[in-house]
Amino acid sequence: MTPLLSLRHVSKTFGTGPRAVHAVRDVSFDVTQGECLAVVGESGSGKTTLANMILGVFGQSSGEIWFDGKGLPTRRTLEHRSAIQLVQQNPLSSLNPKRSVGASIRLGLDVFGIGTRSDRWRLVENSLEEVGLPGDFRRRPPAALSGGQCQRVAIARALACQSRLVILDEPTSALDVLVQARVLRLLEDLRRVKGLSYVFITHDLSVVRNVADRVAVFRAGELVECAQTRAIFEDPQMDYTRQLIGAVPVIADEELKLRESLSGGLPA
Amino acid sequence: MSEVLAIRDLFLRFRGYSGVSEVLHGISLDIRAGERVALVGESGSGKSVTARIVLGLLQELPSAQVEGGLFFEGEDLNGLSRRQWQALRGTSISMIFQDPTSSLNPVFTIGTQFAEVLRRRDPKLSREAADERASTLLQSVSIHDHARVLGAYPFQLSGGMNQRVVIAMALANHPSLLIADEPGTALDVTVQAQTLKLMHELVEQSGTAVFFISHNLGVVREFADRVFVIYRGRIVEQGPTPAIFENPGHAYTRALMAAVPRITGGGLPDLNDSEAAFLEPMVVHEGGDA
Repeated sequence: MTPLLSLRHVSKTFGTGPRAVHAVRDVSFDVTQGECLAVVGESGSGKTTLANMILGVFGQSSGEIWFDGKGLPTRRTLEHRSAIQLVQQNPLSSLNPKRSVGASIRLGLDVFGIGTRSDRWRLVENSLEEVGLPGDFRRRPPAALSGGQCQRVAIARALACQSRLVILDEPTSALDVLVQARVLRLLEDLRRVKGLSYVFITHDLSVVRNVADRVAVFRAGELVECAQTRAIFEDPQMDYTRQLIGAVPVIADEELKLRESLSGGLPA
Repeated sequence: MSEVLAIRDLFLRFRGYSGVSEVLHGISLDIRAGERVALVGESGSGKSVTARIVLGLLQELPSAQVEGGLFFEGEDLNGLSRRQWQALRGTSISMIFQDPTSSLNPVFTIGTQFAEVLRRRDPKLSREAADERASTLLQSVSIHDHARVLGAYPFQLSGGMNQRVVIAMALANHPSLLIADEPGTALDVTVQAQTLKLMHELVEQSGTAVFFISHNLGVVREFADRVFVIYRGRIVEQGPTPAIFENPGHAYTRALMAAVPRITGGGLPDLNDSEAAFLEPMVVHEGGDA
């Protein structure tokens, strides 16, 4: 099976000469249809730069990005843009405060020409219902919604465009733990039902353990380790991965045991 | 053991355009000398306002109505004048905020800000003496190139470095109570673990009591001796940390624990939405009472 998304030796350098910043260096990985790949790493490890390159916000300095068997140009067509969508970290700032949430969702439909004009409000309501919100929420401004509800709207907006790959950039780190559990459950259900693929960017390894199929560990722009989730947590090959897992605050005794068995210690 | 901080039946209301909203519904808690006590809850449950009341910051707000007993080292805080509150902050009670970079002033160097903190207790301290004391304090938080750090502005340092500077500043005047409001949340997970470990060692050495505010149960388990769980302005469960984590008694505490994803796997938790049960009466574990 050809992978849905495929990165081959992708690098990104900002600036030139001695002050150049190598944000991403020679990264290669695949995401297959229906897969959730977690991208983990500390701040500054190049996670968001990677997301921006996949989305086409800016082009890569070298290497190739393939989507659905074809090379992605830096200038994306409408088709590419609707197929690859983004859900950001802070839902309140990713939604336009002056538009109703329905108008925010509809904008995508208008731009990508999805559905007929008369039909689009119904599509907006459907997509809200898909994420567990009542359809008449479309009239509300983002300020009238809670953080969890806003994040659901952001997910609805990404899905309304008939996307196939969704980049989730820390989708739950601004949410409370009870709300986080519900949003993660929703993302999981949507992925199964619609056969979506996720690139799940996060620094929360305990979330990764429970939602991802595979994990890519980044450090300073480089892909350190990429393997099945179970293998990463039970038998990490790199010291850095061990340190990351060893630093996760845990609540249960069996988690403590797992952490101690890795005994990576804290980085100096 | 003597109590450093005692809160008795604390109520808080905010007056706004849309009427009065009740934020705290009579919470009581106490912290003994040298103890690490955590207040855990979701956003909006009243954690941070409690901390701000202890520091006397909300009392200054005309829209806030604060009622209830507030005792620090046996002294009633309610009767303090503005000047007396001012004298207390940064000397006997100090606070660490969530985002270290925004809690430091961006237009002054770390050295200048350190001198200001040290002069709170010792107003005639010269800059040279302040720098010298600051250097030793920075060393205690494992910052070894202290000359560079003292001359640097906050934006020239990393988040973890800034948080360590803030911790050093907070402990500089040997406070008997340190309030830490989500001190690791803005940091990377490895940096958070280092920072908490460091804070743990320092308060242990100096015997400072810590009022630790967090929404992260894992962090609380590792840091606190006793835990208070707060839900919608009410304490729903209190007790020693092992008792709470091994045997959570209240429906809300159980829901919170169930919602935390585990690094050992097991999939996403199933949540039953019985929020009515969250309003059940408080559960007190043995040893959780003052």
